[in-house]
Amino acid sequence: MSAATLGRRGLIKAGALTIACMVAGRLVRVSPAEAHAMAAVPQVLSPMEAETLGHLCETMVPGARAAGIAEYVDSQLAADPSESLLIARYFGVLPPFRDFYAAGFAGLDAAAKAAHEKPFAALAADPALTLAASLLAGAPSGWTGPPARLFYLALRGDAVDVVYGTQAGFEMLGVPYMEHILPPRRW
Amino acid sequence: MSKHANHEVDVVIVGAGAAGSVHAAVLAAAGRSVVVLEGGPPRKLGDLYSSQLWARRLKWTAPAASDVGADGAGVSFNGGHGYGGAAIHHYAVWPRLHPADFRMASEHGRGLDWPIGYETLRPFYDRVQADVGVAGDAAQEKWRPPGAAYPLPPVPAFAQGQAIARGFEARGLNTAPLPMAILTQEYQGRPACLMDGWCDAGCPTGALANPLVTYIPRALQAGAEFRADAHVTRVLMDGAGARAIGVEYVGAGGVRHIQRARAVVIAAFAIETPRILFNSATDKHAGGLGNASGLLGAYLMAHPSISVFGMFDQDMQNYLGPTGGQLLNQDHFAKDATPGALGSRQWMIAQALKPNDLLGIAMSRPDIIGPALDQFMRKAARGLGNMVALCEPLPDAANRVSLGAARDAHGLPLAQITHRYGNDAKTLIAAAADEGAAIMKAAGASENWRSPIAGQHLMGGCIMGADPARSVTDSLGRLHDVPNLIVAGPSLFPTASAVNPTFTVHALALRSAESLVRDWAQFG
Ligand SMILES: Cc1cc2nc3c(=O)[nH]c(=O)nc-3n(C[C@H](O)[C@H](O)[C@H](O)COP(=O)(O)OP(=O)(O)OC[C@H]3O[C@@H](n4cnc5c(N)ncnc54)[C@H](O)[C@@H]3O)c2cc1C
Repeated sequence: MSAATLGRRGLIKAGALTIACMVAGRLVRVSPAEAHAMAAVPQVLSPMEAETLGHLCETMVPGARAAGIAEYVDSQLAADPSESLLIARYFGVLPPFRDFYAAGFAGLDAAAKAAHEKPFAALAADPALTLAASLLAGAPSGWTGPPARLFYLALRGDAVDVVYGTQAGFEMLGVPYMEHILPPRRW
Repeated sequence: MSKHANHEVDVVIVGAGAAGSVHAAVLAAAGRSVVVLEGGPPRKLGDLYSSQLWARRLKWTAPAASDVGADGAGVSFNGGHGYGGAAIHHYAVWPRLHPADFRMASEHGRGLDWPIGYETLRPFYDRVQADVGVAGDAAQEKWRPPGAAYPLPPVPAFAQGQAIARGFEARGLNTAPLPMAILTQEYQGRPACLMDGWCDAGCPTGALANPLVTYIPRALQAGAEFRADAHVTRVLMDGAGARAIGVEYVGAGGVRHIQRARAVVIAAFAIETPRILFNSATDKHAGGLGNASGLLGAYLMAHPSISVFGMFDQDMQNYLGPTGGQLLNQDHFAKDATPGALGSRQWMIAQALKPNDLLGIAMSRPDIIGPALDQFMRKAARGLGNMVALCEPLPDAANRVSLGAARDAHGLPLAQITHRYGNDAKTLIAAAADEGAAIMKAAGASENWRSPIAGQHLMGGCIMGADPARSVTDSLGRLHDVPNLIVAGPSLFPTASAVNPTFTVHALALRSAESLVRDWAQFG
């Protein structure tokens, strides 16, 4: 990439800032207060569901919990479906998306209980990884709810989104972000 | 629910995407009064944030359609919603159909013929290309049908493209720059592309031929009126069932409106277009408008495609370039070039990659989880190369859009999609997978693998044809039995070829809109 194009990118950025001014307040980064609000009690998920989600996503994509997976999914379930950023949309999951997640968590717990007599959130790292991995091949014994493979792909996708799909994630991989317009928030 | 009646206009257009915006620009410029009704929000360039997460807002969520066939058609990923439609975040790979694509039935005894040939469409391709700016290298693209040279020099090949091209060469195969509706130099006041792979999030710079910077501004300047959040429920007919007299739509706050018009253009993409026509049934058109042949909704097609991946030791700079790719190969485009199958196939080579999302690095190996994932991500962020095979699905009347049992918020039946790939498509995909593996190996990849089949682009469902008993519209998109009701968009394609459809969508829309202008005396 030439110096000239890189130089011009700066201009585009300046343009983006102008756009931000025009739609006042939309192009802001997360403030500490907002972050705190996001980390507060989930609005849609039950505390147990948030725990199951955190454990499953951390198992599949290490770093997902610290990157805010529970806040991410919870905030997207609280949003109007047309504004939702969830990758489940691409897999043909129909709104309300909450039903898909709730049924998947129930299925996961049923499978964990069938194999280990414990809910998924109580499984140690190894059995959690084995059970999570088995979802891709199809429903493990005891599973109820949406197709297990679909649930796996959607939740792995969510975890990848929060760990690798933001500016911080790109930076961790050494991939230049090269934005034209930064999103107003991480999600 | 209250009803609001608007003043009659010359033309009402349903859908502000690729096809609808071309119609609006041409008709308004010819002095017709035009209203465009768009079911989604009034998007603008400033909404197109560089983020694969935020890009998902641009998709279609409601009304949703159910996919009941053996192979899903990818309805949710393939749609768009709001000003610009799916074209707001399309990747702008713009090859032309080949002459043989128009004559499949007569040359091979299978598939369907188009009611027009390549020569009819050629001048429209040439004019659209000059209107929006298409980049390519006509001389190197040896498979290219005759036509005017590209107005812009080709997109460059970065390390990823160059590496994979060496694999093609080693296998005795050709590559040429991918023809793209992406500016490589400033053109008509729009800037050149920065080659940073944010096409899927929607291009806010104006370098990519997104309707927000091509035909929508022209339509607005010529006086067309665009109304957002205006969801069209049905077409209204005169008592005799001979002419469309307007449409009904639900606007903000659930208010029902009537928009009267002398001609109606339905450009609501492959699922909603037939759905609206089904939902507009009257006693004179009991099976839906345009359904005298029983073929409304039939012949839905999605391009079967796979991604082939290779891991390289070198830095592939795979974050650079357009999302659609850098290079093209059509060595197996002849309908009989793949043993055991009828149909074309093409390669799009070296797509720019992002870490996340459906087509991103992590999803290339969905089986890797746990501590191994981070290792894979770090290696692939440098060394992953990829290319996409696009194959031709034969038109099959059993693949179709119909009305399902579920209803939308306005009480109207939602679409139901029945779709599966035929044996020819599966054979083409298998051949592409083998060829792709050999190419990646020859290019020096230490390992290679492929994705499952995915459906790209939706076409068919309101096919054009010469015979009213075997098609829904004529070659101009006019319903055989209601000539002032015009379909625009990929729904019209009787066959799908193995090229991306949107250049052809534009060429057909330009031809259709100009015919309306010319024949206006019949409508006014
Ligand atoms: C990720 C992606 C990448 C793509 N890449 C390429 C590519 O590289 N090359 C290529 O050729 N093609 C590509 N395509 C396909 C391309 O986007 C479509 O072919 C093109 O947009 C079709 O044009 P259209 O006008 O028929 O539909 P659209 O552009 O989708 O416009 C239809 C509009 O109608 C509106 N609408 C629907 N129902 C109603 C209703 N009832 N009332 C009012 N409005 C309604 C919708 O909201 C939408 O805005 C891609 C598509 C996607 C999703």
